[in-house]
Amino acid sequence: MSRVNDVGGQFGFGSIVVEPDEPPFHADWEARVYALNVAMLRQGVYNLDQFRDAIERMPPAEYLAASYFERWLVAIETLTADR
Amino acid sequence: MTGPRFAPGDRVRARSVDPAHHTRVPRYARGHVGEVVEVQGTWPLADERAQGFAEPRIEPVYTVRFAAEQLWGPPGGHWVQVELWESYLEVVA
Repeated sequence: MSRVNDVGGQFGFGSIVVEPDEPPFHADWEARVYALNVAMLRQGVYNLDQFRDAIERMPPAEYLAASYFERWLVAIETLTADR
Repeated sequence: MTGPRFAPGDRVRARSVDPAHHTRVPRYARGHVGEVVEVQGTWPLADERAQGFAEPRIEPVYTVRFAAEQLWGPPGGHWVQVELWESYLEVVA
């Protein structure tokens, strides 16, 4: 089955908001989540495709309600809880 | 290992797969015919890597372009490029 992430070409998500001088992170916790994921990947705890898979396995309603880095955090939690 | 099966200019069809696991074939491209633009070297198959295979298959990856009009109907007027592993593709007769 196609997963909730596979929305290419679907209507209803609105246009992409382009912020002038957009910062890489919009809150400190986002930078921490980013760094945590880089550490996990470099240490070989999981690989990038397993990380993407974990994001795609989120329950659809939660996936759609979550922000970009909230999804990252869910995936890190999922992949480390598995171990 | 043999070389890439397809070359730039070849017409290929993205398989109508619907796997239960992670894959890099977007739903909108499945079953559609595109044209190989570029061969991007060889890479481990994301589907198998996502499942934690110790030795995922290594395959050529291609940039394939699809006419937007074919994927989503008119007005089209642009192309959509997707990076696809060789086993995602079949020969167009």
